[in-house]
Amino acid sequence: MKADTVTAPIPPDTRMRNKKPASGGRFWRNFKNQKYLWMMSIPFVIWAFVFSYLPLWGWTMAFQKYKPARGFFEQEWVGFDHFRTLFSDSQFLLALRNTLAMSGMGLVAGFIFPITFAILLNEVRLGIFKRFAQTVSYLPHFVSWVVAAGIVTKMLSSENGLVNDILLGIGFIDSPIQFMAQGHLFWGIVTLSDVWKETGWNAIIYLAAISGIGPELYEASRVDGASRLRQIWHITLPGIRPTIIVLLIMSIGNLLNIGFEKQFLLQNNLVTDYSQVLDLYSLKYGLGMARYSYGTAINIFNSVISVILLFTINGIFKRTTKESLL
Amino acid sequence: MASNRQIKAKASAITLTSVMLLGLLAGCGGNNGNNAAGNAANTGNNANKAEDTSPLTMTYFSADPNPNWTGMQDEVGKVLTEKTGVTLEAEFAVGDPQQKVALIAASGEYPDLISAKTDINKLVDAGAMLDLTDLIEKYAPNIKKVLGEEGLKRSRYSDDDHAIYAIPTYAGVDNKYFDAGGGFELQHRAVKEAGYPEIKTVQDYENVIKAYLEKHPTDENGNKNIGMTLNADDWYMYITVTNPAFITTGSPDDGEYAIDIDTQEVTYHFRRPAEKEYFRWLNHMNDIGLLDPESFVQKYDQYKAKIATGRVIGLIDQDWGYGDGEKALKAEGKLDQGYAHFPVTLSEEYKDTSFWPTGFMAGNGIGISVDAKDPVRAIKFLDYLASDEGQVLINWGIEGKHYNVVDGKRVIPEDVNNRKYNDTTNFQKETGLGNVGSNYALLSAHYGDGVLDPTGSYYTTRFPEQVIAGYNKVEKETLAAYKANTWKDLFPSEDEFKVKPWGAAWNITIPGDSEIVVLDNKLKDITWKRIPEAILSKPADFDKVWDAYMGELDKAGVEKAEDLREELVKKRVKLWNE
Repeated sequence: MKADTVTAPIPPDTRMRNKKPASGGRFWRNFKNQKYLWMMSIPFVIWAFVFSYLPLWGWTMAFQKYKPARGFFEQEWVGFDHFRTLFSDSQFLLALRNTLAMSGMGLVAGFIFPITFAILLNEVRLGIFKRFAQTVSYLPHFVSWVVAAGIVTKMLSSENGLVNDILLGIGFIDSPIQFMAQGHLFWGIVTLSDVWKETGWNAIIYLAAISGIGPELYEASRVDGASRLRQIWHITLPGIRPTIIVLLIMSIGNLLNIGFEKQFLLQNNLVTDYSQVLDLYSLKYGLGMARYSYGTAINIFNSVISVILLFTINGIFKRTTKESLL
Repeated sequence: MASNRQIKAKASAITLTSVMLLGLLAGCGGNNGNNAAGNAANTGNNANKAEDTSPLTMTYFSADPNPNWTGMQDEVGKVLTEKTGVTLEAEFAVGDPQQKVALIAASGEYPDLISAKTDINKLVDAGAMLDLTDLIEKYAPNIKKVLGEEGLKRSRYSDDDHAIYAIPTYAGVDNKYFDAGGGFELQHRAVKEAGYPEIKTVQDYENVIKAYLEKHPTDENGNKNIGMTLNADDWYMYITVTNPAFITTGSPDDGEYAIDIDTQEVTYHFRRPAEKEYFRWLNHMNDIGLLDPESFVQKYDQYKAKIATGRVIGLIDQDWGYGDGEKALKAEGKLDQGYAHFPVTLSEEYKDTSFWPTGFMAGNGIGISVDAKDPVRAIKFLDYLASDEGQVLINWGIEGKHYNVVDGKRVIPEDVNNRKYNDTTNFQKETGLGNVGSNYALLSAHYGDGVLDPTGSYYTTRFPEQVIAGYNKVEKETLAAYKANTWKDLFPSEDEFKVKPWGAAWNITIPGDSEIVVLDNKLKDITWKRIPEAILSKPADFDKVWDAYMGELDKAGVEKAEDLREELVKKRVKLWNE
């Protein structure tokens, strides 16, 4: 009782006192209390600054006619010229379309497959099989794209390619299909090879999230007579919803940064209309021709769009599901 | 610098170091110390004493891959290191070197030695390359001797910048061609079965393939034989798909442009009407099923693997392009599945232009970067390679091991020669020597094939007797049937053409900020997309696709590209002939 009477009046008091001085006071107190945590984070703050913020200085290149040997003040400034060239280039618009299409398809497939796979794996009772299946499924993740692309082209080859052989064998087609020569198939091929390569790996995080769900929930539902499908629907899926949403927001932020390895390695001259992605475009028309400024302009465009996408999607989720990243 | 001259010829370590420092700072080393050594490089020993052969590792970048590079751990490489103290730490571009060179230029960290071919413009723009004029003058008597005044004149960078940034290494001085590695290729067994007919036009070529496939649709294991295949992976597109279009229609190789020899008027070569007909023929080959449907899909390694199966009857390539595949066949003893070369043209009225003379082709070569730790040692290393001793070493190998001197002439023993031609890859990795080019052949200025050294032997191992000795029995049989000694005998020879005063347009360096760079790339993107499309389209649609292609070229500014290119060609003519 004594303790109660002593402590009870204090909180309002401290609240009052804390409101008056600048919030800095609290900050310093916090800082003092958590100084070890702060110190531990310093290297990472420096790391982020050096590798993520310092290079932003290079954005100035996009507004110059940059030449490597000259100093900053000797560069010729050209304003938004590079952006104007960029937006009027039909190749760029094509690359933008392909990027969005492939990353959109990748996004959808990249969520449906790993989540389904994780749930299915979770339902497997036999421990040995479960571990075996999991290991086998994420092995392709460690295969480099160079090798993976080789495997894909060989499999889809019209000459002794496995896929064509199977289709011919079951009489589905009469003559081999030139999969790699058809532009409209390219997006699908890229998405599917990505699914093959990454499903197992991406499922790991969902498996971890699933194992974090308390077993008492399942037990209770079983007592209530819920079938396994019901359990998945009402317990597993809602249980991993926060994970799904965080990952979704992050990947939407990266929609334009899908890299270029897959496209670069799987493409050929017949399908360039479908395989050219932004990163490839900036490599070829930027760096490849020593047009450093132009390449930077493409990258700025990339980053700006990514940031906009990230905040939009984050806002939407914040409002609709009350779950968000920021 | 003048004061330096007074400090005379004592090759002590101190003066040497100061020279190096000066060289680094001023880009033109002092004219002391090593002068004596330089002048006397040919006379051997007593000057060599002054040479610094302490171990030195130099970084080296080359825009061309060198798959058999062993880090100078092969037999010739070890001798080179022993003689000069230099070990090269090499890096080779993979795929299109453009991007790699641009990256090097932007990074500001340059390898000591750079061989970037025409992409050197990016490095010159970045101020990365040393002007070698003075270094050559002072330290490289052998390079000077090999190139001669004309060669040095042609080595200058451009009409506006007379500096020498690269020592020409791709072209051999006074080179004569003794063998042909290009044209159209047919398997020996196919021409033999056809009874060695005359093969002059694409029609003749087609007939041989067709006749062979009708008789032998599959190989002994039941796998389909393939009429002809092309390699469209990355830049090989030029070699097997687009370049043959002008070679078969009477225009010489000037990159993507056709240039009138008299007026120097420039045309984007695909716009020549004759070439449309060439591609129409390829379209026809595809239509009748003689062209491998995977031609435009397969990667280079798949292409080579396919050739190594021996199922491909015809190729349109250069020997260095399909060589690895053919080597595998030879190693298995399937000699009749190797390839013979023919100067095929679109029709009788044209001459194959493979050997249209260009004069000495300076331009692509090796340069020293401003970051080089020791430019004087670097130029001396290159100079050693250009010396008689060096050239013999990198081409012939080590006396007593890879060649013997018989009656004052160099002779390659039978067993060495055998390995060189039939076990090329292993042999090259072991020794550094090859039958097409040794590992070190493109490192410095050198004499071309057919040039005799003071002892009366050839500098290189490619001379008529050796070329003929290098043929296997099936190749000799085919050649005999055509009454020729070498493949080149079948081709129109150099003297049937007028020498191009600009060399070749593809090796003219373009100023880095020129609009041509972007224009060329746009045109290339269109062409590489449209040409395969045209070839694979239905014959009835060919004209439609072609017209659309021409329209796209117009829209992309093909005429402007032609004008700009013409300007460059005219400047090159001035630079080389003033």
